[in-house]
Amino acid sequence: MSGQAWLSLERVSKSYWRGPHETAVLRDISLSVYAGECVAVWGQRGSGKTTLLKVAAGLEAPERGVVSFKGRDLRRMSKVELVRLLREEIGWARRAGPESDELEMLDYVALPLLKQQTLRRARRRSAAALARVGVAECSKGRWEDLTDGERTLVSIAHAMVRKPSLLVVDDPTANLDVLQREEVMGLLRSTAEQDWLGVLITVPDMPSMVHAHRIGSLSDGRLLVPSGRSPERDNVVEFPGRGRAAPG
Amino acid sequence: MSAKNVVLGLVIERPGYGYDLARRLQERFGSSGFAPTGVYSALDQLTSEALVRSAGRRENGANERAAPRTIYEATPKGIDRFEEWMLRSSSLAPVRDELYMKLALSKPHNLSRLIELAQAQEEDCLARLEHLKRPAARPRGGPTAWPEVAVLLVRDAEVRQLQARVEWLQKARSIMSKLNGVSERDAARGDRVA
Repeated sequence: MSGQAWLSLERVSKSYWRGPHETAVLRDISLSVYAGECVAVWGQRGSGKTTLLKVAAGLEAPERGVVSFKGRDLRRMSKVELVRLLREEIGWARRAGPESDELEMLDYVALPLLKQQTLRRARRRSAAALARVGVAECSKGRWEDLTDGERTLVSIAHAMVRKPSLLVVDDPTANLDVLQREEVMGLLRSTAEQDWLGVLITVPDMPSMVHAHRIGSLSDGRLLVPSGRSPERDNVVEFPGRGRAAPG
Repeated sequence: MSAKNVVLGLVIERPGYGYDLARRLQERFGSSGFAPTGVYSALDQLTSEALVRSAGRRENGANERAAPRTIYEATPKGIDRFEEWMLRSSSLAPVRDELYMKLALSKPHNLSRLIELAQAQEEDCLARLEHLKRPAARPRGGPTAWPEVAVLLVRDAEVRQLQARVEWLQKARSIMSKLNGVSERDAARGDRVA
């Protein structure tokens, strides 16, 4: 990747107090997300995935290290600037759904726009966002009527309707079967590439990482990345212009 | 399991020459540990048992001096044999893992190195996962063809095995780190006493 990272974490550490004990959740983590790429971080339950996302999205401040968005250190931003950043530049897809059961999905997805735009215009953009993620047919539906897969996609539309630069998703493939998972992850990858968006996701299931451009694993608060060693390399030679293949 | 039945299956899917089959074997089953050169001995065996045969030769376009390549196709007997293999029960692969052996035979002074090995293997698992990445997205809606679903299910199985491995490595690393701390403190105390 070249150019400036949309999001950059440099040697970030964060810990929580549980009673008299301090527990380090993130230790010295460095991570970047560039425009046009989807980065997936895997971790077991309690590994600090959600804390990582909260720190990355500016919702929680780290004790040590620097979080920057488009080159700007979040610590140096005023509260007003930070609120604006969270509202306009970072979209967090939450699967909690609307607070009212009566809300149709067209209006739910339009909600983040209503302060700045007329209802009619907001609905038009909402319809476009729902169509973009492939669930235009859900616009008249209510949250309780949707399948798990549709809820995930509507949540992504809700987070993307403001056209943020960074999309953050915690466990986008929870409760989805193999085919639904492929669809959601394929969408996140293509959204990153086509809308020039940075996408950061955390997952408890490794198969969900297969579509990501870059992957990592959280363990003991540290981020591990692929070794660069190929376990199959002894049997494989470079195939000119065709990637890896066998000698022939 | 030998590569023979897998190579036969690949030839039934689509006739091909040795190099092409070796490449497809690597693409489809790279993490299974089949040596690509094993394709040639598998083709020799399959030919001698009349399970595959030559379907013609393909000139080696770019290199005029190179020998033409034999294209292999399955014989009716080969297709029957493959169907028999599909019906047979599938054995569970034996667990013969070098790290398990080292762990089982290790002494406390080996713990530091074992922790490093466990972390390196976790990073290798992530590297293997990177090799399984498939960039193409499936179009939304419409019927999904079985071959596409089958590839997804096999990849899912491979990735879940890697995940189980990483989860175990992380737990093992955590326990070994705790014990290593204790043994290093004991050693330091011993030094002081000495």
